[in-house]
Amino acid sequence: MERGEYLVVMGLCLLITLPLELLLGARVWRRPRRLLVAMVPLVLVYSIWDIAMIAAGSWSYSDEKLTGILLPFEMPLEELVFFIVVPICGLLTLEAVGNVLTALGRLRAGEPVGRVLRDLPHGGGPRPAPAASTGAEVA
Amino acid sequence: MGIYTLTALVSVVVVLAIELLWLRTGILRTWRFWLAMAIVMGFQVPVDGWLTKLSDPLVLYNEADMTGIRAPWDIPVEDFAFGFGMVTLAMVLWVHAGRREERRAAAGAGTRGPRQERA
Repeated sequence: MERGEYLVVMGLCLLITLPLELLLGARVWRRPRRLLVAMVPLVLVYSIWDIAMIAAGSWSYSDEKLTGILLPFEMPLEELVFFIVVPICGLLTLEAVGNVLTALGRLRAGEPVGRVLRDLPHGGGPRPAPAASTGAEVA
Repeated sequence: MGIYTLTALVSVVVVLAIELLWLRTGILRTWRFWLAMAIVMGFQVPVDGWLTKLSDPLVLYNEADMTGIRAPWDIPVEDFAFGFGMVTLAMVLWVHAGRREERRAAAGAGTRGPRQERA
């Protein structure tokens, strides 16, 4: 268990941010392609930085608290997990905060509390109107 | 002052340049960005604090490569620049990827206009 401590911390980060997706409609996990497009360059760049710093001896990792699984260039597995988990927690926060701000705006505009709260897990804005009402847009 | 201090500061400058000069999502002008960042940095304290606590650290730093200033607890100040840069980059790339998806969807669907990204 102790050797998995870093991974446990990362798992807890995912766990406590899960309500942002489920209750506040963050819709980050539900847009996997967009998430992948955003994350790949970040994970690459920060991994290179990490590998360079490990090679330079600027930082190192506890042998007792990490699994010991090393990726190419001596990067601990945990570091890759960190560069994936922490930015995703940030994205969940961004979307959830946006949805809460939208919901607050709707409340201030006088919309019924029940309706605003009902829409929150779906993204905070009003639900899309039925297809029939979009006819006016056709050019 | 050392290589970590320097690269952490450079990372923030590069990320801000990517947003302001290249991708221009406008996210830095939104309330949701700064509110979300405040929350993220608030949660960085317990998480990073656990990883870097000198009594029982998971990550060990070479003090010669940084300012040596650690606060709160034993968190190197450089970590906050690192975190701010990394999470900002994630948010910029995420909003940018969303806009691109919407433009593509709008072009594909023809008659349906792009949905606006909420600020």
